[in-house]
Amino acid sequence: MEQTIAKVLRCEDIAQDIFLLELSAPGIARSAAPGQFVHVAVPGAGANILRRPISLMGFDAGTGTLSMAIQVKGEGTKRLRALHPGDTVDVLGPIGRGFELRGARRAFFIGGGVGVAPVRGALDAFSGACACEAFFGYRGKAFAYGLDGLSCPVHVATDDGTLGESGIITAPLLRALDAGAPDMMFACGPAPMLRAVQRIALERNIPCQLSLEERMGCGLGACLVCNCKVRAADGFDYRRVCVDGPVFDAGEVLFDD
Amino acid sequence: MIDLSLDLCGVHLKNPVIAASGTFGFGREYDQLYDISLLGGISVKGLTLKKRLGNPPHRVAETPSGMLNSVGLQNPGVDAFIEEDLPWLLQKDVAVIANMAGSTEEDYCRMAEKLSASGVHMLEMNISCPNVKEGGVAFGVRPESVYAITKAVRACAKKPLMVKLSPNVADIRENALAAQEGGADCISLINTLTGIAVDPRTRRMVLYNNVGGLSGPAVRPVALRMVWQAAQAVRIPVVGMGGIVTGEDAASFMLVGAQAVMVGTANFMDAYACPRIVRELEAYCAQQQVARAQELVGTVRVNG
Repeated sequence: MEQTIAKVLRCEDIAQDIFLLELSAPGIARSAAPGQFVHVAVPGAGANILRRPISLMGFDAGTGTLSMAIQVKGEGTKRLRALHPGDTVDVLGPIGRGFELRGARRAFFIGGGVGVAPVRGALDAFSGACACEAFFGYRGKAFAYGLDGLSCPVHVATDDGTLGESGIITAPLLRALDAGAPDMMFACGPAPMLRAVQRIALERNIPCQLSLEERMGCGLGACLVCNCKVRAADGFDYRRVCVDGPVFDAGEVLFDD
Repeated sequence: MIDLSLDLCGVHLKNPVIAASGTFGFGREYDQLYDISLLGGISVKGLTLKKRLGNPPHRVAETPSGMLNSVGLQNPGVDAFIEEDLPWLLQKDVAVIANMAGSTEEDYCRMAEKLSASGVHMLEMNISCPNVKEGGVAFGVRPESVYAITKAVRACAKKPLMVKLSPNVADIRENALAAQEGGADCISLINTLTGIAVDPRTRRMVLYNNVGGLSGPAVRPVALRMVWQAAQAVRIPVVGMGGIVTGEDAASFMLVGAQAVMVGTANFMDAYACPRIVRELEAYCAQQQVARAQELVGTVRVNG
């Protein structure tokens, strides 16, 4: 892990409210793993003092580049979107426990919205070692990204039916599972989607890893603000999303109703 | 060569920069990035007598030039700290300050006894945690209760006792004096200012606990004023904190009367904030032609 000043290579919209940020950060790119994230300082040293945790969509040790898909949500991500090639940005990473293939021969990659990014990153990283099948959900066609250059079977669902089938991504997922279960599932997306994937994985006894999201402070595991609930012998315990995750086994995560 | 060192209540600090409790864990995470022996001291994550899970998420909200937190004293308990974390920390050449929070006088005394029997160098009694009902805040508001809890814990503690004061009080001078009269060896301030954050889109409170503690550059002017007032009110050493991000910020706190400073939220902005602030303070002293950093303490020129 290192804290470094990275040069911006690309910063451009790839879908509605979502932009691609590509950085040159050779040290981070060399040690990154799928599903890990970087903690990015908001440019301009203004009132936004906390870093933004951003999952890696791709990294290339050879070229030293990192790529991420970022949703414009508030002031911080707006300022990141305003970066131009040649600008610099302060990045800490790579951070966290990422997705692990664990010898799986066939894996499903399930992403929703901005959560497609880390799942697509894992798919690209693992596609040489296992048979892949992608399940990506979006609000609508305008919000879709991460579909280019996929050579595996891809299922798309949108809330409004403007791309792929209409509805939630678990519908095509269930049909594919009925046809034949994989030996690993990777998922990242909004909480209702993760909850649904978790239920399916546990009911069907399929190994599954979920990437969680939480507001963060230090990104190092010291400040304890990014907690999530996991099962424990006496009910539940808290884990740090930043360094104990962001990827957890589906069986250990407890979602509040 | 600038001398940054000081003697704080009989404890040698190689420089006046201390990592603030709650932002630095027990030191291990930051030691992956740099040798934490570079710092004057570390105030460890607030300890309680028994393990505490802390509050549900969300525990943090960004605010203009600051942040609110409501961790709620998640910690493994004082015994687990002494057994599992302290031995590692004591290998480092850095003053170890054990921050403790309790809900009863008995809690504080039992922790003070356990920690006095351990290798920690100093105790920091947190009577100002705003995030749990049992965080000691009940002891930290009224001067009479500050005096009483300090006196009781002083009697149980065999290590120097620092009392961490709450800024959410009527007159910080009275509480600082009450800690001194109760037998505190030094005081630290400010703990966080209480605040809330609202998400207008969801119409909800951002923090699960509703109320959190505000820290970061946003609180610095308030903290400086309170440190200045407290330092004038007491004879015992004062450790200042509140939004320190640079060496010049640290120097400002020393100029208004702090012998040492604590750095908290800045660690989240820049993981290397603490060692950077040490270097910047040294450069500031050189530029100001001050040979010993302690010469700065309390020398601010006041108008009128």
